[in-house]
Order: sequence, then C-alpha cells, then structure tokens
Amino acid sequence: MAKLNVNPTRMELLKLKKRAKTATRGHKLLKEKRDGLMKSFMSIIREAKDLRSTVERDLGEAFKNFMFASASMKTEALNESLAVPSQKMKLEASTKNVMSVNIPEFKSSVEGDFVCYSLASTSVELDGSLKTFSHVLSDIIRLAEIEHSAYLLACEIEKTRRRVNALEHVMIPNMEETVKYITMKLSEQERAAITSIMAIKDRLG
Amino acid sequence: MKTYHIAILGSKDAILGFKAIGVKPVSVTSKTEMLEKLEKLCDSGEYAVLLITEDFFAQGKDEVFELSKRPLPAIIPIPSHRGSEGLGQEKIKRIVEQAVGSDILDK
Repeated sequence: MAKLNVNPTRMELLKLKKRAKTATRGHKLLKEKRDGLMKSFMSIIREAKDLRSTVERDLGEAFKNFMFASASMKTEALNESLAVPSQKMKLEASTKNVMSVNIPEFKSSVEGDFVCYSLASTSVELDGSLKTFSHVLSDIIRLAEIEHSAYLLACEIEKTRRRVNALEHVMIPNMEETVKYITMKLSEQERAAITSIMAIKDRLG
Repeated sequence: MKTYHIAILGSKDAILGFKAIGVKPVSVTSKTEMLEKLEKLCDSGEYAVLLITEDFFAQGKDEVFELSKRPLPAIIPIPSHRGSEGLGQEKIKRIVEQAVGSDILDK
C-alpha cells in the first residue's frame, strides 16, 4: 500500500491518527447502512418479481381482448367512444425515508366507472378488456411502488458498497501505513539525536 | 399528500384502452420523441407513475434508467399489445445484479 504524501512530523502524526479513527468509525457505520439497505431490499424484491409476473400475464390477456375489440369496431367509432373518459384515477404519493433513501409510497383510489360510452354501439369485447385493464391498474400501481423502490435502493446499495470497500481496502490501510512510517521516522530521529549527543560527550570528556 | 396522475407512453393502438380507466395516454412514434416526452413528463412533477410499453422501453433502456433515479415519478415498463418480451423480468434481474452482484432470484 502506498503511504500518504505528508511530512513526518509530530503534528501530522496526531492529525493522521485522528483521521484514521474517524475513518474506522465511518466504515463501521456505512457497513451497517449497507446491511440495513440490503435487508429492506431483499424484503421487497421477491414480491416485485412475483407481482411483475402476475401483471404481465393479466395485461397480456387484457391487450388481447382489446385488440379483438378494436378489430371488430371502426377506428373512428372506438376513438369516439373513448373520447371522454368518466373514470378518474386519484393517486396520492408521498416519499418515505429508508436509510436516507427516499422511496415512494402510493395510495390510489378510483372515481367513477369506466363505461363512458353507449353500450349499444360498442362491442362486448371492449367491456371485457376495459374491465381487466381497470383490475390490473391497482396491481400496476403497487408494482410501480415496489419496483421503483427496489431500483432506488439498489442504486444506494451500490454506492454504499463502494464507499465501504474504498474505506476498508484503501483509505484505512494507507493511513495506518503512514502512521507507522511517521512513528518510525520520529524514533529514528530521536536515536540519531541521542547518539550524536553521546559522541559529543565522549569528545568533550 | 399531493395528488398525482398516471400516464402511459406507447404506440397509439396500444395505449388507447388505458384512456378509459383514467390514465393519460401519450402516443409516441419514435425513440427521440419518446425520450423528449418522457423527460417533459418527469419534469412536470404532476405524474407519479409513468408506464411505458416494452417496445419503446427496449429502444432507450439506459436513458430511461437514468431518468428514473429520482424518487418520483416511477417509470415502469409494461408489456405492449404484442405481448411480453421479458423486458420487465430483465429489469428486475438488472436491479438485483446491481444490488447484490449476481442474480440470486434466478432459478
């Protein structure tokens, strides 16, 4: 390991010792943060994976139905029937702080019904597919919440892990080596001073 | 708590159905248009969830990942009308790999 570029003085030694102590403490704290983040990450990632499979399956079904519906109707008629949606989606969002990462929390509520068109002029498939869409939507919102949280946590875990590693394998060993170097240098100077005094005394006496 | 909206980005045929259930449809035709609109929606601060169909998500994955570093909005890929191409699972895999180092959920 390379030692830091500092003058071997008592002043520097004291400063360095203090820094090394802070770094060790920071390392311990960051390690704990990493473990805490990992714990909350693990608790949601499995759910996210399962929920994604469910959503993808249901949405596939809904899209298929919708395709059939739009095939059996004229494009203009379809556009016209969906022109003024009556269902309103209310989504309340706030952020929660987990180990200094802000993750979103959603609360959704639905107002009104999705049937905003004349039942006589539209095909039956349209009702079915819109019903599935509206079912899947709450799952999608939940998925958005946990998948996005997982992503944000993953970013933070990566950053924290890097910091922990940098402290553990670079910063702290470097400082320790420099402390050792300065101590050696200082005691060497001391010995040199003593021997020269002894030599002078010999000559005088 | 502030109230937000949901928007969906994708080709016109795919997203029309979402209009009826209260999701704002934003139709896009190309990658550049998609990224432009996505950025605008992100910056507007009115949307908490942005859904994006897989066919467009595939074209600009890295840009989308970059945009979703903020707590809000959450940008989520969903299967397009052509069915799922496994991109959503790939995203989960990528997240796990980023956090843990290897995909531990893969069976």
